[in-house]
Amino acid sequence: MTFSLALSVADLLLLLPEIFLTCWLCLIVIVDFAFPRMSKDQLAFLSVGGLVATFACLVWFDVSHISGTLFANMFVLDRMALFFKMFIVATTALVILVSVQYVDRFRFFRGEYYVLVVMSALGMMFMSSANDLLSLFVSLEFSTLGFYVLVGYLREDLASNEAGLKFFILGVFAAGLLAYGISLVYGETGKLVFSDMHLTATSGTIIGFLLIFTALGFKIGAVPFHSWIPDTYHGAPTPVTAFLSLAPKGAALAILLRIFFVALATFKPVWVVLLVAVAILSMTYANIVAIAQRNIKRLLAYSGIAQIGNVLIGLAAGTKMGSDAILFYLLAYLFANIGAFAVVIAISQAIGSEEIDDYSGLNRRSPFLAFAMLLFLLSLAGVPPLAGFIGKLYIFVAAIKEGLYTLITVALINIVISMYYYLVVVKKMYINEPTDPSPVFISGPMKAVIYVGLAGTLVIGIYPQPFIDWIIGATLMFSNFAAQSTIVIPPTPPFGG
Amino acid sequence: MGEYALLYILFAPFVGALALILVSNRQPLLVRGIAAGSAFVSLIASIYIFYAYDVDKGGFQFVQKFEWSRELGIALHLGVDGIATPLVLASSILLFTGIFVSWHIKDRTKEFYIWLLILAAATIGVFMSLDLFFLYFFYEMSVIPMYLLLGMWGSHTKQYLEMTDPDGLKLRDSVGFILNFGSNSKEYAAMKLVLFLSAFAVAALMGILLIYKYIGLNTFDILVLREHAKLLNIPVLGTTLDKIIWVLIFFGFASIAPLWPLHSWSPVGHAAAPAATSMLHAGVLMKLGHFSIIRVAFEILPDTTREMMPIAAVLCIFSIMYGGFVAFYAKDTKYVIGYSSSSHMGYVFLGMAALNYISLTGAVIYMFAHAMATGMLFAMAGWVYDQTHTRDLPSLGGLSNKMPFISGCFIVGCMASIGMPGTVNFIAEIMIIVGSWNKYPFQVIVAVLGIVLTLAYLFKMMRSVFYGPMSQKYSHAHDAVGVVDRLPLLIMIAVTVGFGLFPMHLYDVVRSGVDPLIARITQVVPVASGDRDTLNVKRDATDHSSGTEQTAASSHLARVTPQASRGLE
Repeated sequence: MTFSLALSVADLLLLLPEIFLTCWLCLIVIVDFAFPRMSKDQLAFLSVGGLVATFACLVWFDVSHISGTLFANMFVLDRMALFFKMFIVATTALVILVSVQYVDRFRFFRGEYYVLVVMSALGMMFMSSANDLLSLFVSLEFSTLGFYVLVGYLREDLASNEAGLKFFILGVFAAGLLAYGISLVYGETGKLVFSDMHLTATSGTIIGFLLIFTALGFKIGAVPFHSWIPDTYHGAPTPVTAFLSLAPKGAALAILLRIFFVALATFKPVWVVLLVAVAILSMTYANIVAIAQRNIKRLLAYSGIAQIGNVLIGLAAGTKMGSDAILFYLLAYLFANIGAFAVVIAISQAIGSEEIDDYSGLNRRSPFLAFAMLLFLLSLAGVPPLAGFIGKLYIFVAAIKEGLYTLITVALINIVISMYYYLVVVKKMYINEPTDPSPVFISGPMKAVIYVGLAGTLVIGIYPQPFIDWIIGATLMFSNFAAQSTIVIPPTPPFGG
Repeated sequence: MGEYALLYILFAPFVGALALILVSNRQPLLVRGIAAGSAFVSLIASIYIFYAYDVDKGGFQFVQKFEWSRELGIALHLGVDGIATPLVLASSILLFTGIFVSWHIKDRTKEFYIWLLILAAATIGVFMSLDLFFLYFFYEMSVIPMYLLLGMWGSHTKQYLEMTDPDGLKLRDSVGFILNFGSNSKEYAAMKLVLFLSAFAVAALMGILLIYKYIGLNTFDILVLREHAKLLNIPVLGTTLDKIIWVLIFFGFASIAPLWPLHSWSPVGHAAAPAATSMLHAGVLMKLGHFSIIRVAFEILPDTTREMMPIAAVLCIFSIMYGGFVAFYAKDTKYVIGYSSSSHMGYVFLGMAALNYISLTGAVIYMFAHAMATGMLFAMAGWVYDQTHTRDLPSLGGLSNKMPFISGCFIVGCMASIGMPGTVNFIAEIMIIVGSWNKYPFQVIVAVLGIVLTLAYLFKMMRSVFYGPMSQKYSHAHDAVGVVDRLPLLIMIAVTVGFGLFPMHLYDVVRSGVDPLIARITQVVPVASGDRDTLNVKRDATDHSSGTEQTAASSHLARVTPQASRGLE
């Protein structure tokens, strides 16, 4: 394996989004430094501008099917990487928009906030292109670095400090496990690139991949590795919580898909058992614990763990359709979750509280916010005709084709459990009367994000075909996993008895 | 309109709901106008399909098919047969009348109509879906509007739940008592309804997914799936797969029907709901259960249905008697009607369980008839509640002086519920009883006793609401005088009596849907001669010689009765 840094222009083109965003990041730093009196709102819009340009570039790549590998296969740009990059860039832009007002709460380093958010996004963009264990480790740490700072950004708030510390300690621990796992796998196989590994089941590789899975499970917050999630989500500034609940999960799932579907493809019967167990634990535990929550951020934290349980069903299916379902589910989850967090931030700006009890009578105070929250929560619960329902159904169809009956049964029961705690919030908003009937006002950028969330949730739910086509194109690399059942739709028989 | 009629029926309420979002709550008349207008479009279109449905051709008509997702094998496939057509009509009548019944709602009028329209459109969507995915889609979609309608505009049940007999002994809904946790708020009722229905709906979804997987054609299309039911006959877990699927589907959907012992959400929900919601809930939402069982279990798994349907025959006895007795002792007007509804749904199960032409036709007509009768009763119970702010039977009384029109209509409603000749309920009931007699004589006796019980509790309720001494508290109560208030009741009475006197078209339509279904389930083939006035029945190839020609008697009922005895066994 020779490693050469002699890059041609064509190679640099593959890195264009990352290079562009890096330059833009520097621009943000310079602007923040050079114009200290400039309103930070403008800095936010500057960052969003850069992200939109990056997104446009990614769309151009996707449409014109630009793909390739760099640095001896360490960095791969395929359509799946592009999907996840778009996911991350879109999330970041929306998160920055919801932060615009929230940033005023920070006493120091308001400008650096945007820099850190974009920097994390950059790390996660590299992560979704990571194609070997080394670039995985580097990009994962790069993206987490920004988060360590962001989580503890409310310096005067003890909860935020606790969240930052907890996230840091557990994050570093997970990084240690990841590095150890990588060293074990490398020691056994001598390879780092996922597609080059011809694995045999030795104790070294088994333990190594278990450790890697643990580290990634920490990133996505699946159940045995979830303990940091509720406190961190609770204590972190709410826009950071929204960011944390979406982008790292997407990036880590890109890695998980590559590891399980490429590196560990031959061991499918073994890892299915592992994933089924983790999925069942995540869904059941998180849904039951969520019932007891009184704080909306904690509720959404547990709901996020449960959603990851659902995503893991698609991973456990281990087919092309399973990977499609995961991507589709993430898309549905993106709009519902960012929308829900936008509502949470809007309300916390207006009434200064994140307790569910303070949502009482929201329908009377702001019918728009209540309606938006209703749709986002129902989409998370999986109620038609919203995106979350199609996402769940897609995952179930993928899983039932592989015969994972137990898993689907548990998931279906969990839908009912989750319906309860989402409806408790709906009950507060719609049925209970407000203690303080003053109307709630929403800022412009916040409204825009909520509209984007609503549009995504409804459009994907009512007309999913274009999105399904897109994600099916994005996961073409996994087509050798396609389920055996052939897709033959027989002609419809004549109508009638 | 013609071939696109189903799209108008289904999407008019959705479009109305969307239009309402743009309207301000400060223009209540415009809000109601838009709601009534979109419901009217739906109503006209469903009247059109009811009369334009070609009974000679039968089968699924007005079919619309749009590809929705190729990868998942889903198409928006709409179509109605003879079973769905009257139910679509019933839904749109109840939606239209429900809008007038809730004309006086002041609180968040716009939101109320939005959710009511979505609820009705979703139920209509179930009735016309020929795709399992969309059937479930619309089914599940109807649940959330129910939650909000109950929670936001419903009323607490409070002490009415305390049902005691004259000696002061407590008589409670035992299952309800166990699952009620002593709570009787509207929030509780709404939450219970949603969780109950969702819990059983996911069981049905599991059944649907199993059908999808094992037929393996990557399609949810009912018309395709029903050709391959044999593929589901594989042994698993000591039984066969089709039985497991059947049980999942049957109990999944029977919960909304509601079949005893899955009924406990229903009366609580009825009692908490505002009048128009109760009407839709009892009138059409409960029929989603029977209808989905017919559409999924009967269509796709005919052989299993024949084997398993005795389950329903057993449980329906409990439904009928249990619901009837609780209704008799209940002291809340809406509770009485709610339990009466769940008792009457037992008749539909009996008609379905007997599995022959007469009884199933009777069951489908009964669904239609019950929608009208119970819609009337709930509308009037709602009116009385709005006027007196109580639903407590002992404290009501003597209201017939104050509201002669309402009490007159109430008598008609009771008559219809009981099944008096002249109402369409009579035709339905007699067909269920006659059709089921050979197969389930015991159940038929219970059903007849149930009718007596219905008579008892409805008359008891009528007496304690409208007759006897009147409390001075209610001296301000007034009758339904305006057109808006009278129109819904008059429409429902007209439909009930109209089809009671001239049932032929309704019968023909339902029959054209039931015939092919029963022929597939029982393999007993009806052979209609070219002249529809004589219906000849061929029981079986072996029995063909026994002489099956029968000339129709002049009366319609006399014509169906002899078939009943032969279409059975």
